[in-house]
Amino acid sequence: MTHPVRFGALVTSVAQARRAEELGYDLVAVPHAPDDGDDWTLLTWIAGQTEKVGLVATGLDVARGEPAVLGRAAASLDLLSGGRLELALTGAHLDEVTGIVRGVLDAGETGPLRFLGEHHRVPKAQRGPLPAHRIPIWLTGNDQQSVRLAGRLADAWVADLERITADELATAYKQLEAAATEAGRDPEEIRRVLIVGPGLSPAELTALGADTFLVRAAELPGLSAWETLRDATGPIIFRPSSVRAKRRPGIDYDGVPAGLASTAVEPGDLDYARVRSTYMRGGAPGLVLRPRTTSEVVDALAFVRRHPDLPFGLRSAGHGVSGRSTNDGGIVVSLAAMTTIEVLDESRRLIRVGPGARWTDVAQAIHPYGWALSSGDYGGVGVGGLATAGGVGWLARKHGLTIDHLVAVEMVLADGSVVRASDSENADLFWAVRGAGANFGVVTSFEFEAYDVGDVGFAQLVVAADDPADLLVKWGRAIEEAPRDVSGQLIMGPPRPGQPVFAQLMAVVDNDDPETIIEQLQPIAAIAPLYQQNVVLTPYTGVISNAAEGGYHQGAGEPVSRSGLIEHLTPEFARAAVELLASGAVHWFQIRTVGGAVADVPAEQTAYAHRSANFSVIVMGSSKQRVDAAWAPLTAHFDGLYLSFETDLSPERVEDAFPPRTLARLRELKHRYDPDNLFRDNFNIKAATR
Amino acid sequence: MTDYGHELLFGTFITPTAQPVHQAVELAVVADRAGLDLATFQDHPYLPKFHDTWTLITYAAARTSRIRLSGNVLSLPLRQPAVLARSHASLDRLTGGRIELGLGAGAFWDGIEAMGARRLTPGQAVSALGEAIRVIRAVWDADRPGPVSVHGEFYQAEGLKRGPAPAHDMSIWVGAYKPRMLRLIGRAADGVLPSLSYLEGGPGDYATINEHIDDSARESGRDPARVRRLLNINGTFSQFGRSFLNGPAEQWAEDLAGLALEHGISTFILATDDPATIEEYAAEVAPAVRELVAAERP
Ligand SMILES: Cc1cc2nc3c(=O)[nH]c(=O)nc-3n(C[C@H](O)[C@H](O)[C@H](O)COP(=O)(O)OP(=O)(O)OC[C@H]3O[C@@H](n4cnc5c(N)ncnc54)[C@H](O)[C@@H]3O)c2cc1C
Repeated sequence: MTHPVRFGALVTSVAQARRAEELGYDLVAVPHAPDDGDDWTLLTWIAGQTEKVGLVATGLDVARGEPAVLGRAAASLDLLSGGRLELALTGAHLDEVTGIVRGVLDAGETGPLRFLGEHHRVPKAQRGPLPAHRIPIWLTGNDQQSVRLAGRLADAWVADLERITADELATAYKQLEAAATEAGRDPEEIRRVLIVGPGLSPAELTALGADTFLVRAAELPGLSAWETLRDATGPIIFRPSSVRAKRRPGIDYDGVPAGLASTAVEPGDLDYARVRSTYMRGGAPGLVLRPRTTSEVVDALAFVRRHPDLPFGLRSAGHGVSGRSTNDGGIVVSLAAMTTIEVLDESRRLIRVGPGARWTDVAQAIHPYGWALSSGDYGGVGVGGLATAGGVGWLARKHGLTIDHLVAVEMVLADGSVVRASDSENADLFWAVRGAGANFGVVTSFEFEAYDVGDVGFAQLVVAADDPADLLVKWGRAIEEAPRDVSGQLIMGPPRPGQPVFAQLMAVVDNDDPETIIEQLQPIAAIAPLYQQNVVLTPYTGVISNAAEGGYHQGAGEPVSRSGLIEHLTPEFARAAVELLASGAVHWFQIRTVGGAVADVPAEQTAYAHRSANFSVIVMGSSKQRVDAAWAPLTAHFDGLYLSFETDLSPERVEDAFPPRTLARLRELKHRYDPDNLFRDNFNIKAATR
Repeated sequence: MTDYGHELLFGTFITPTAQPVHQAVELAVVADRAGLDLATFQDHPYLPKFHDTWTLITYAAARTSRIRLSGNVLSLPLRQPAVLARSHASLDRLTGGRIELGLGAGAFWDGIEAMGARRLTPGQAVSALGEAIRVIRAVWDADRPGPVSVHGEFYQAEGLKRGPAPAHDMSIWVGAYKPRMLRLIGRAADGVLPSLSYLEGGPGDYATINEHIDDSARESGRDPARVRRLLNINGTFSQFGRSFLNGPAEQWAEDLAGLALEHGISTFILATDDPATIEEYAAEVAPAVRELVAAERP
C-alpha cells in the first residue's frame, strides 16, 4: 500500500481532541458540532488548542457559503495550524466546489481564478493565501455517483462502516479505482478513509482495505493494539500524477537521495511557489533541493554532478543579483534551512553562522553581547551570498568588508569533499572564498570575529539637487574627508519634468555620542539645502531590521544592474553620471561608500582586490540594451567593479571584477578545485588550462 | 451633550494579515494581556493577503482568555446569515460569552462580485442587511417553538432549524454612515460602528449619526440607549500634543472623554498593529478616559 496507515478519532469537543492527541492519534475528525453548532468553528477552536494532530471536519456542508471563501478559510486554518488541515466536503455540486476551492488554494498559479460552472461562478477571484501544505480534499457518499466523483477528483474517499458492509466497501473501492483510472489518475493517489468502531483487530482492519481509520468510540481506545499496522509502513512522499505531470525533462526525480527527498520541491508541489523565484529574479527550476546539514549538501552536489547539462544555481537567502540562484528547468540547491547562529568563543567574539541566515538575524543574535558585524544595507540579504563576495555595509569605512572579519569556513567542494579553510588550513582556498567564493564550493558555515558596536547614529536626509553634478562632487569630497565613523550612500532618481530634483543621503555614524554624530554629519548635511532630515540614535540592529518578514520571494523577470568602483567622484565622472540619469534608462542610481578600513587590507590578501576605491556605484534599469548604452560612457572612470551588483554576463566583466594577478591565481585555483566547472552561477571563472 | 450611559469599552482593530501567519493572533494575545476589552478584525474575503476573518477570530479566541472578539465588520454579501448566527453562537458558547457580531452590508463590490456573489445597490444592501438580522435573531431564538421562517427578498429561510443560542445576549454591531442604514440600526441593531477616518466632517459628524439612530429607535418604540455607539479610531502617541489623537496619553484621554460626553460614544477601537501602542492604550488611555467620564456623569 502506498499510504502509511493513520488513525483518527471522531471528536465533538476540545477535551476529546486533546485526549486523542495525547494518545498519539494522527487526526481528529469533527463529524458535526453539538447542538447544531458550526463545524468549522469547532474545528478551528480545536486547532487553536492542540499542537500537532491533523484536523478534519468530516461533514462540512459546502452550502455554508461561497466556495471561494471556503477556500480562503481553509488556507487560513491550514496556515494558522501549521499545515494540519484536511478538508472533507459534503453537499451539492461538489465537482464545482472542489474545483473552486483548489483554484483558490493554488496560489502559485498565474492569473486570477476564473471558474464558470453551472451552479457556481467565480468571475475573477485572486488566489491564495498559499496554505502551509497541500490540503487534501475528502469526498464522501456510498452511492455510485459519489464514489465515481471521488475517484475522479478527491484526495480521499470516506465511508462509514455503520452504513456500508465490508462487501459493499470492496465493490466501492473497485469503482473508485476504475473511476480514477478512467480519469487518468493513479488509483493509489486516493486515500481510503473508513469510520470504524473501537473493537476491530489489526487483521480485521487490514482486511477492510482502508488506510485511514477514524475511530468512533464513547471512550477513545489507546492505539497499542493497532501499533503494528502503523509500524509496518513508514512515511512516503507521495506525488499524485497531476504533480508529476509538471516535471521537467532530464532530471532523475526518482533518484533524489533519500534524506533530501522529504524536503525536495518540484514544479507541481505546493511549496514550489515559495521557492521558485528569488528577491530579484523570476524562476522556474525543475527541482529545488533543500539540504539541512553538510552531509545533505554533499548528497545534493552528487545529485547535481549527475546532471551536468542542466543549469545549477546555489542559493542561501535568495538576494542574488549577479548570482543566478534560480533558473529555468535546472536544479537549485537552497541552503535556506541552514540558519544556525552560535557563539563559539565569547572572549574572541567568535561566532559561527549558517549560510541561510539573514543578516538581520545575525545582528539580532549578537546584539545582546554588544557586538555587530557590518554586512550590507538590507537585513534580508543572506550570509551565504554576501560573505563569499565582499560585504559593503553600513560600517564599512570603520570596520572594512564583511569578509575582512571572516576567520574560517567549512565548505563542500566540487568533488564532494568537506574541508575547512582559514589562514592556516587550505589558505589558498580561504583566499579565494573571500571575494570569489561562489566559484569554489558551497560554504556550509562561516566563522566570523565580530566587534563591539554601541548605539550608532542613523541619518536619512533629502537634499536639493538642482545642480546634481555639483552635488555628487561635494558629497564625494565630504565623505572622503569624514572620519571613518561615517559610512553611507547617496541615491538619486531620473529627473522628472516639473518636479524639483533631489537626492537621498543616508549615513551611519558608528559613535554613540549624539554631539559627535551631529558634528560628523554636519559637513555632509551642508552640501545642499535640506528638504527633510531624520537622525536617530539606534542600536545597529535598528539599521538592519529592514527585512520583510513572512512571505516568500516573488521576483519576476531579470534584473539589469551594473556596477563600478571608483576612487574619487570627479567633476568629469559627475557630469557623465548626470547624463546617465537624464537618459531615463535607469530607475535606480546609488553610490555606496567603501574606502577607509576597506583600503587598509592589502589588495593581494583576498580575492576581493579593488581595495583603493572609495565608492561603489550601482545602477539598475529594466532594458539591458538601454542601461548598457547609458552606462558605457561612465566605464572609463571606473577601476573595477563589485561583482555582487553586476548582472552582465560578458567574460570581460570577470576581468573587471578581479585585477590580472588576482584573476590568474583564481584561474589556477579553479583548475585545482573545480576543473569541471560545477560552480558557475555567479561570475564564473574559467579554469586555467595546462 | 449626549450620553447613553453605556459602560466604556476599549478595543483594538488588528490587520488580519496572513503574513507573518500568527501576527494578528499574537496582537490579540497582547491586547488580551494588556486588559483591553475587545479585539476586532476587518473582513475582506476577496483579499488573499488577509486571513479568513472568521477563522482568525475563532483561532484567536482559542489563544486568549478574557478579551471579547468581533468582526469589524464582517462582509454580509460573502457570508450566509444563518451560518453567521450559528458560528457566532457556537464560538460564544465555546468562549463563555466573549463574542459579538460586527456586520457590514458590503463595501468594495468589485471584489465581492469577483468572488461569485451578487452585486447589490446601496438600497438593496440595506434591505438585505435588515433581512439578515431577522434571520440571525430567529436562529438565536432557540427556545421559540417551530422553525425559522423569514421570507425576504434576499434571504429565504423557511423551515430552518433554530439554535444554538449564544451564551450571552450577543450584540449585533453594524458598520454604517448613511441615513438608511442608520435608521435600520435604530430599529433592529445593537450598535453602530463607523470609522473616524471616514467621517468627512470629523468626530462632529457623530451628532448626525446619533440623530438618525435615535429618531428611528423612538419611532419603532425602542429606547435609543439600546444602541451602543462605537468608533474606530487612529492615532499616534507623541511627546507633545499636535492634533486630535496625536499627543501624549493624557491628551488622548481628554480627546476620547470629550467624544464620550459630547456624542455618547462608548466604545473606542484603536487601529494599530504595534504591541507597544496597544499596551500604552490599555494602560494609560483607557483608565484615564473612564475616570474623566465617570467624573462628569451624574
Ligand atoms: C536588496 C539588496 C540589497 C543589497 N545590499 C547589499 C549591500 O549593501 N552590500 C553588499 O555587499 N551587497 C548587497 N547586496 C548584494 C548581495 O550581497 C548579493 O546579492 C548576495 O549574493 C546575496 O546573498 P544571498 O545569500 O541572499 O543570495 P543568493 O541568491 O542566495 O545567492 C547568490 C549567489 O551567491 C552564491 N552563494 C550563495 N550561497 C553560497 C554559499 N553558501 N557558498 C558559496 N556561494 C554561495 C551563489 O553563487 C548564488 O548564486 C544586496 C542585494 C539586494 C538584493
